[in-house]
Amino acid sequence: MTEWQAASLVALGAVVFLDQWPAVQSMISRPIVVGPAVGSILGAPADGVLWGAAFESMLLAIQPVGAARYPDAALAGLLGTAAAIMGMESGIYPAAWAVAVAAGAGWAGEVVGRLQRRRNARTAAAVLSRVSAGSLGAPARGIATALARGAALGALQTAAGLAVVIAGTRLLAGSPWAGPLDAHGLRIAAAAMAGVAGARVLGLGRKRVVSLVLGAAAGLALVFLGVSG
Amino acid sequence: MKQERGLSRRLRRERRRVALRSTLVQAVWNYDSLQGIGFGWAILPGLARIRPDRGERAERLLANLGTFNANPYLASIAMGVALRLEEEIARGAAGAERRLARLLHALRGSLGAIGDDLFWSAGRPALGLAAVAAALATGSVWPAIVYVIAWNALAQGVRLAGVRAGFAAGAAVVRVLQDPFWAKAARTARAAGIFAAGAGLGMGAGLAVLGGGGLAGGAVFVAIVGFLWLAGTQIGARGPSLSPALAFLAVAALLSAIFHLSQGALP
Repeated sequence: MTEWQAASLVALGAVVFLDQWPAVQSMISRPIVVGPAVGSILGAPADGVLWGAAFESMLLAIQPVGAARYPDAALAGLLGTAAAIMGMESGIYPAAWAVAVAAGAGWAGEVVGRLQRRRNARTAAAVLSRVSAGSLGAPARGIATALARGAALGALQTAAGLAVVIAGTRLLAGSPWAGPLDAHGLRIAAAAMAGVAGARVLGLGRKRVVSLVLGAAAGLALVFLGVSG
Repeated sequence: MKQERGLSRRLRRERRRVALRSTLVQAVWNYDSLQGIGFGWAILPGLARIRPDRGERAERLLANLGTFNANPYLASIAMGVALRLEEEIARGAAGAERRLARLLHALRGSLGAIGDDLFWSAGRPALGLAAVAAALATGSVWPAIVYVIAWNALAQGVRLAGVRAGFAAGAAVVRVLQDPFWAKAARTARAAGIFAAGAGLGMGAGLAVLGGGGLAGGAVFVAIVGFLWLAGTQIGARGPSLSPALAFLAVAALLSAIFHLSQGALP
């Protein structure tokens, strides 16, 4: 990995951290988008698409509803895809390693997200006290502070994660148990994960079973026609 | 509509700015005031129109910086309502201040429930599934691009329309929330999402059987689907369940081992 690539991934980490919940929520932080972005940066866009789809299906069932604590899907997608592509460059196709990295990154990112929310409480208290004193610009300054801190945390956690991924990939490079699952196998696993996660998250009633069967027929037809073969 | 004349006409110009600012409603999200700071900051352009006096404005801003939480895309409806009632407060309408506080409190739950159901429980999984199925089928970046465009057309569109709808409805905002659009949109998203989930299953089965695996490949695929289903991929499912990440990790490791052993490359 070149310095430029590492810097681009760290910058991407900052952007997707903010998009995930503090700003806009345009969903550019979802693995299905982050995967191709990481792939493009690392010079393997097609692999990025595949891994992005795999991680999206893995994290599909997680919803930021109520007071739920949920894994950091952006960091999971970013570091998982990076681990997969860097592993492939090392001559292996490390499916289990990449998924393990994504699972660990999701958990670690959630901890960092909680830290940011705790720090935000101090920022909010400072804003309230300044507005009480008559300052109208305090909320804007508080928001700028929180966003800057979020971007820094996003960049920092990505940089730390990349260091772990690089070290882990070097360790695994010589191990025959590191992978090796090819793209074909991964597509099958990701398709199964997407189907099951979708059916469970969206629910299966009588009418929806018909939709599911019709969809399955369409999926089979795609393979027959060679579109996805 | 009559009330939309006069000061409201000037306020209408600020709606877009409020909607734009509502994209940062969660910027200072914290465990005490939740979205409160973002909410107050977002309606500030409207407050500036209603309260030209800086002292009065700061006072009303402070009143709107309290605890608030809703689905981030639907928070803009509450912002519209708040501005409408702020206007009434400025006009000296009896009880408007109390009505605003009560409404914002009530809206928290309703906007959270409606928005979470539409956006998080139905819309995002459905669009995500469609994008996953298309990406696995084509290997192209286009599904991801279309996913982002489609999501933002819906979500940011609702944000923009929300300020207008909340402002027009004011205290009668319940009729916006009772609009059948919300339930219909969530139902449609779920049906489309299930179709995409089916496409994923069909594609996976086809790839497993026709991609050189034959009946054994099909059996492995059925075993994977069965394992994932039993492992429990739904957060909050009854009884102990594996997290989706761990379940997928197990599948990846299992497939890797099968692939590895079939290559005859034991360590």
